[in-house]
Amino acid sequence: MKRKVSSVLLNGILLILGIVTVYPFFWMLSSSFKQNKEIMALHQKFLPQEFILSNYESMNAHFNFLRFFANSLFITVVVTLLVIYTSTLCGFVLSKYKFKGREFLFSVVLSTMMIPWCVTIIPKYSMIQSFGWMNSYKALIIPAMFSGFGIFMMKQHIASLPDEILEAARIDGANEFYIFHRIIMPMAKNGISSIAIFQFLWTWEDFLWPYLVINDQEKQLLAVGLKMFNGQYSTDYGALFAATAISILPVLLIYLFFQKQFIAGIASSAVKG
Amino acid sequence: MFKKSSPLQSKSEIILRNIVVAAMVVFFMLFLIIPIGIAFAGSFHEWNPLSGTYRFLGFENYKEVFTSALFGKSMLNTLIFSVVVIIFRVGLGLGIAYAIYSSLVKYKSFFRAVYYMPVVTPMVAVAFVWKFMYNPQIGTINQIFGLDVNWLMNPKTALIAVIIMTIWKDFGYAVVMFMAGLYSLPSDALEAANVDGASAWQTFRYITFPLLKPMTLFVVITSIISYIQAYVQILIMTEGGPGTATYLASYIIYDEAFVKYNFGYASALSFVLFIITAVFTWLSFRVSGKEE
Repeated sequence: MKRKVSSVLLNGILLILGIVTVYPFFWMLSSSFKQNKEIMALHQKFLPQEFILSNYESMNAHFNFLRFFANSLFITVVVTLLVIYTSTLCGFVLSKYKFKGREFLFSVVLSTMMIPWCVTIIPKYSMIQSFGWMNSYKALIIPAMFSGFGIFMMKQHIASLPDEILEAARIDGANEFYIFHRIIMPMAKNGISSIAIFQFLWTWEDFLWPYLVINDQEKQLLAVGLKMFNGQYSTDYGALFAATAISILPVLLIYLFFQKQFIAGIASSAVKG
Repeated sequence: MFKKSSPLQSKSEIILRNIVVAAMVVFFMLFLIIPIGIAFAGSFHEWNPLSGTYRFLGFENYKEVFTSALFGKSMLNTLIFSVVVIIFRVGLGLGIAYAIYSSLVKYKSFFRAVYYMPVVTPMVAVAFVWKFMYNPQIGTINQIFGLDVNWLMNPKTALIAVIIMTIWKDFGYAVVMFMAGLYSLPSDALEAANVDGASAWQTFRYITFPLLKPMTLFVVITSIISYIQAYVQILIMTEGGPGTATYLASYIIYDEAFVKYNFGYASALSFVLFIITAVFTWLSFRVSGKEE
């Protein structure tokens, strides 16, 4: 009996916390279908009294949000793929090869995780200017090609793979490029999926770097676009809600679809690290 | 049994190694070491890219950092912000993870997935959602609680409002981490406690929690590092205001560097912040008695 009471109590508390967690999302979504006069009403109803889609139309008419969305998707996918490849490659070399300076190189990689963004961002910004990369996707992609965090994760992960498999492949005459692409990459799948998740999120939500290096509205990314939109149409609440919903919902949907892999990947980063 | 092959390196191994090491050296030189050097040098200069100024100042920038009232205030805000958010993050994370872990709760992965939702949503977007929720005209928070508070415009409530939003966004990460920690615990220790007739609280206090210490430390350290660097919610929700009520240390750097273009002063601030991060990280290792 006591067990039953505490079970109900515990589940009840978790459920309330769950509602608090999802409430802002539902409120935003519901408001994006409301008319402005309903959004500003003295006594608000949670659901729209009159369901309208015009906020989404006016949002995209004012500002090319679908364009921002496509840009963000492109950059995020490219950077994530590159980081997966470089992290796995560097992780392989740092964990399975023995050479002079390996420990030092690895400690440099580790230090990147400790150094705050603010230390390097000003010089990087000046460098991008002097390279003439301003307003080009080179500025978003090239400085993000290697990730200290990714290399660290993959080194830990690949180190745990047995050496015997590599030895066997070498005896069979496989060269190292073959071993890396055909043996290491497939075996490192779990590590790769957690890096993919982290990198996707970080690149997707990054605000400051694209804000600094991209000036052309046509090339701009979603996070920056959302802030510009809020600056210019700060009273068209319906359109603001629609714009915010568009920037959140796709990510949430991807998350809900892959949440098992997401959570397993994220948790494994800490248990191993 | 054949003998383990000798550490003789094949040609392809040497080629691959050279390519990878060269690429890493070039990349980290270009985007890490050299920028740190430039920033360090710049922190001793008056450096403004708009007017093209680059003039040696010695320690002037650092003197300004330590005598600036705004920086002092922002460090105080950062301290309050970080301590409160970390306490709630660890407390909620541990409590909720333990609740979900217990045999009393059925839909474990459902709850975990729900709490993790805010973590995966872009900060800029959720900061806007919360800004609207706090808005006295259209916001839902005053409506729900029947209050009449201008949360983000009142110096007494603005920092609290930002803290609440950050806790909401981040506690799910701690839940997932502590759950991972709980599921990797050795089950024999917990069984032994059960056999010995320990109460649920005793088991938690004397067995589970000590075993979770490394995970707690991990969450605390990653939190310190990320909260010292937090600025996006400030940029979106308050821009440091009202007055200086919500200036966080990293927001000042953003403001000095990319609004006022005082690159030199911003660099000096960055190094001070870097050292503070390092000290706090080291301290939390010491406090936990686990130096690594």
